[in-house]
Amino acid sequence: MIKLAGIKKSYDKHEVLKGIDLVVNKGEVVAILGPSGSGKTTLLRCINYLEKPGDGEISIGDFHFRCKRPHKKDVHSLRQKSAMVFQHYNLFKNKTALQNVMEGLVIAQKVPKEEAKRRSIALLEKVGLGAKLDAYPSQLSGGQQQRVGIARALALNPDVILFDEPTSALDPELVGEVLGVIRQIAKEGITMIIVTHEMSFAQEVANHVVFMDQGVIVEEGAPSELFNNPKEERTKQFLKRIRPEANV
Amino acid sequence: MVFDMEFALKSLPKIIAGIPMSLLISVFAILAGLVIGFLVTLCRMYKVPVLNRLAIIYVSFIRGTPLLVQIYVIYYALPMVADWAGMKLGLPISSADLPPLAFALTAFTIYSGAYLSETIRAALSAVDPGQMEAGYSVGLTTWQTFRRIVIPQAFVVALPSIGNNFLGLIKGTSLAFTVMVIEVMSNAKIAAADGYRYMESYVDAAIVYWLLCIVFERLFAWLEKRSGRYRSKSA
Ligand SMILES: Nc1ncnc2c1ncn2[C@@H]1O[C@H](COP(=O)(O)OP(=O)(O)OP(=O)(O)O)[C@@H](O)[C@H]1O
Ligand SMILES: [Mg+2]
Repeated sequence: MIKLAGIKKSYDKHEVLKGIDLVVNKGEVVAILGPSGSGKTTLLRCINYLEKPGDGEISIGDFHFRCKRPHKKDVHSLRQKSAMVFQHYNLFKNKTALQNVMEGLVIAQKVPKEEAKRRSIALLEKVGLGAKLDAYPSQLSGGQQQRVGIARALALNPDVILFDEPTSALDPELVGEVLGVIRQIAKEGITMIIVTHEMSFAQEVANHVVFMDQGVIVEEGAPSELFNNPKEERTKQFLKRIRPEANV
Repeated sequence: MVFDMEFALKSLPKIIAGIPMSLLISVFAILAGLVIGFLVTLCRMYKVPVLNRLAIIYVSFIRGTPLLVQIYVIYYALPMVADWAGMKLGLPISSADLPPLAFALTAFTIYSGAYLSETIRAALSAVDPGQMEAGYSVGLTTWQTFRRIVIPQAFVVALPSIGNNFLGLIKGTSLAFTVMVIEVMSNAKIAAADGYRYMESYVDAAIVYWLLCIVFERLFAWLEKRSGRYRSKSA
């Protein structure tokens, strides 16, 4: 289980996260929606400690992390609990697809090289890239790069995988292949938090949907509830803007 | 006065004999310069108090003064430092045992460190910050990400400039004769004085430097191609 309590983050005087509380159960897929600038990316980055939260507590499994004055060692442990799939893939450019997936296993988790290689190849095959093991990111399409990014995150066997708009940098015709892979791993019971603007996808794969605006969680609930029966005015406005055809 | 071809050919081997020394100084200065340049860059990137300011002054001073002047300053300053280290710190050194090479290595390293720090700074900032974040996200430490991901990419960016610096150093070693180091230029001077044939000796020296530079230009071009393979579109 992942539990966020009172997560706050400010840039100078601008408070971007104003105390986020969120519980994600094991095996759950949570979709985070919200207008641009509402703090979705910042929240994911705080969980992976790419951004330093100002206050609050992050619990992942039985690991509890206090955001105020943390130990360097705890930061390292926290990072290893989650894995990030980036909007712009952020594959290691000087490493092949296979090396990208192996890197965290061999260097951070000290898995023996042969075993790491075997596991990494299996994962790349799973995301449909068994034929591209030795390709560098510059030789892969956006969709292929993002699938390597997903394999890289899966390899770490983290408690939760964080996706930040995993398809928004892709050409429309490449979106499907990446969503397909995410859909597939969602079925395997891997805990995921996904920031996305793909409403129908969120509705389909998520067990739980969170709507954020201006640094707070405005409303959350089951997808059918939140999409068809939003309670808050801001949620209604947002949904109306993003899918004008639906009648809410 | 005509060009004495026979003399030119006869002195060539003697001048060529200076190549190892010229290369020793250049290679040492480029490698040590890379280390110094990297440390200077770190001081500046992380704004280390005091060191950051010193780094700025160091780079500005070296870039703003002629190499020849720097060599002379080192020539007089290094013995003082050696004696001080011998007396105050009890190290077993004194100005009397400083070989000429020590002056040259010190001067050229300080010189190339300043220029390379600029190269390294530009190269590191050319690497996408997302690479560092990706390293963190798979559980690497800062240093592991630096060493395995960021530095290799920055190196590829820096290579053309490192190559230029290296060619500059090879040519710059011709000033080492001023501190009694026997390299290509010193040998050319000796040959010239021996035979009263100045132009021939210096043409020899010019050709030797030129050929050296061509060889290393090729070598760096090959290195660039090889280490930058991951950037090309095709496999
Ligand atoms: N490094 C930063 N420095 C200052 N302000 C920042 C920084 N990063 C984000 N912000 C601000 O924090 C707020 C939230 O940004 P964030 O990227 O989390 O939004 P988002 O919900 O992911 O938006 P989008 O849908 O556009 O990706 C924005 O107002 C943004 O300008
Ligand atoms: Mg965002």
